Amino acid sequence: MTDFKTLRLLDKFRWLFIKMGIDYDMMRKILHIKLTMDERKVPTLFNQNKKKDNQKYGYIKSLWIYMLFGLILIPLMGFGQNFLFQMSIAFAMIIFLIMTSLISDFSSVLLDVRDKSILSTKPISAKTINAAKFMHIFIYLSYLTLALTAIPLIVSLFTQGIVFFILTGLEILLMNLFIVAITAILYIAILRFFDGEKLKDMINYVQIALSLMLMIGYQVLIRSFEFVNLDMVVSFHWWNLFLIPMWFAAPYELILHGDTSLLTVIYTILAVIVPIISIWIYIKLIPTFERNLQKLLSTSKSKKEKNNRLKSFLLTIVCRTHEERAFYRFAALMMKQEREFKLKVYPSLGFSFIIPFIFMFTFSRGEEVDYASSMSYLNIYFSMMIIPSAVLMLGHSAKYKAAWIYKTLPLKDYTDLQKGSLKAFLIKLYTPLFLVLSIVFSYIYGIRIIPDLLAVLVTSWLYTIFCFVMMTNKLPFTKPYDEVNDAQGWKILLLLLPLGLLVGLHYIIASQITYGSTIYFIVLFFINILIWKLVFKSKK
Amino acid sequence: MEEILTITNLTKSYGNKEILKGIDLHAARGEIIGYIGPNGAGKSTTVKLILGLEGDFGGEIKLFGKSIGQDQIDYKRRIGYVPEIADVYDNLTGYEYLTFIGQLYGLELEEAADKSKSLMELFGVGEAYHSRISSYSKGMRQKLLIIASLIHNPDLLFLDEPINGLDANSVMIFKEILTQLAANGKTIFYSSHIMDVVEKISSRIILLYDGKIAADGTFAQLKADNTEGTLERIFNQLTGFHEHQEIGEKFVSVVRGGQL
Repeated sequence: MTDFKTLRLLDKFRWLFIKMGIDYDMMRKILHIKLTMDERKVPTLFNQNKKKDNQKYGYIKSLWIYMLFGLILIPLMGFGQNFLFQMSIAFAMIIFLIMTSLISDFSSVLLDVRDKSILSTKPISAKTINAAKFMHIFIYLSYLTLALTAIPLIVSLFTQGIVFFILTGLEILLMNLFIVAITAILYIAILRFFDGEKLKDMINYVQIALSLMLMIGYQVLIRSFEFVNLDMVVSFHWWNLFLIPMWFAAPYELILHGDTSLLTVIYTILAVIVPIISIWIYIKLIPTFERNLQKLLSTSKSKKEKNNRLKSFLLTIVCRTHEERAFYRFAALMMKQEREFKLKVYPSLGFSFIIPFIFMFTFSRGEEVDYASSMSYLNIYFSMMIIPSAVLMLGHSAKYKAAWIYKTLPLKDYTDLQKGSLKAFLIKLYTPLFLVLSIVFSYIYGIRIIPDLLAVLVTSWLYTIFCFVMMTNKLPFTKPYDEVNDAQGWKILLLLLPLGLLVGLHYIIASQITYGSTIYFIVLFFINILIWKLVFKSKK
Repeated sequence: MEEILTITNLTKSYGNKEILKGIDLHAARGEIIGYIGPNGAGKSTTVKLILGLEGDFGGEIKLFGKSIGQDQIDYKRRIGYVPEIADVYDNLTGYEYLTFIGQLYGLELEEAADKSKSLMELFGVGEAYHSRISSYSKGMRQKLLIIASLIHNPDLLFLDEPINGLDANSVMIFKEILTQLAANGKTIFYSSHIMDVVEKISSRIILLYDGKIAADGTFAQLKADNTEGTLERIFNQLTGFHEHQEIGEKFVSVVRGGQL
């Protein structure tokens, strides 16, 4: 175990901690262990062929994306004098990014139940343990904040002056305190009323939303520089009182513009007082928090399984054998309930929903589109971008070791398992998405496109089986997620290429042949049945 | 004999649910106490209260002659604990984890390293000392936990199903370790559902049932007070459970396709 530079820096503040009655040496030991473990978040067991420093600074390396986001802050923080508007937007972005990353990356730190049984049984005061926990989060939050704001801050030092620079630095510190306290208080509230599983679900959804937003945000950002208009004039209204980023923007008006109107002063006071109060509340609530944390260990309330006759009937049509139905249900449950799978697949699911529209608007920019005759609805093909990665992920699971049951089951081969899980993906994840897209597209382009949509749907089935055949790991839920490596990433990119061909083929058939789409749909439908039969020919 | 642990009228509730309904308990130096009871009787709650993992209890807990209360941590230096479901920072190696724990108990790094290395070797898991705990087998993990609970030479030990996952030879070593520890004046609370083991190693048995102490005494005394012969039967008798045969028969009949 190597010593950490961060900890050596922290050593300089030893006196401060000792003054607060914290056993500094003990806290340092705990932090040391925590940081060591963080370095190993990727279990080396499966990564032994990778170079060592690749994993070592994994987190630090992941920060470049935040540095990139930080660049967006430059026009807001570095130029212009319309502080109330600019800084509100800037702080809104910073708060959003830091808070979402806190929830998705540091929830495990805040909610680590191991701490209780391992650390609390040792002769260490609760104060020291909590200080270690807080400093652990604080260290990472500092990295994150620095990555995000360092460049804009330096730019602002030259363009806006030293006062602005210092003020921003102080405010960012206050804001971080506020974010940590608010997030923790949020958890305390959730844990108070719900059980641990609910909280884990909520964190999972925040993570999904964050990844989705980063994906879309990236797409929107490159297209939206013309929207940025720094001449917006914002005036105070009483309801702005609830706009937290505005509190932090007000001190600039007060100090740099000398605006001493009542609301500016109130906001400035709020910006200082509220973070301090919230952190005080948090400290007061820590014991409650620790107690409720135990809920994370408790079993959640069991739900009664509903039995829907229509559903079971439809399922007998989709899956012919008894085993296949069982595996279908199993795969559907895994996709619905395994948080890691959701985190890996659901963001791209949302992205697949957006991407046809993004393409539609990008390609048609500046032109009038006649939706009654346009064929740009073929952009719906790009919703299939989710299929290769989803089929890949289907082979993986956090609980991959549980796959030993497959081997103990009296199965001839695994075709039922494979068929069942692919069908579960198509029916439970892809088709709902496609249906919603179809409804929206039918609304835009008219019902004339329904034969085309049907053809696209059967193409997606064909494409799914094609992707499945190309995968090396064909058994669902049998590999850990760490084994998804770069080679497979390239494979997914390659698998996306045929999509373009499919669009072209469809375009030619639909535009050259009368009733082309309908014929195409019928032909594809039967090819589908044939191919699925061929691929899953039972080895009897 | 010197009294290590004295519990007087201990009560504890979660909300409206009363878990402990007044427990009185004394433990002296060198005793191995078999601490048994059905699931949910309050065994682990008692241990958690003693260790300060939970608060807000009624009555008094005295350890090493002093009453434990808020913000007292020093007594924990003299306690070792093997929990039943043990959380471990398993992305650390055995060496890293054990020295960390040792240091938390106030040992120097070198001392903790030497000690844990020797103990791992003696327990036959020396070769895994520098491997990640996540790669350990169940038995190796259990041995690590046992070592972690003993590394600071505690005077009072709480063991909850400590032999879970150990092979027969390791169990023999472990039983001998317990005997030696007791001979050296350590007090051991041994909690388990395996009655044969409890019967053999305990110098005294305390049976907890429904938040109260249902029996307290040596195995011989328990046998004298109850008509049944083995601790298992005494356990059944004291917890008022007799339907095992009936339930077992029904169970098998359902397995064979019958109706309840």
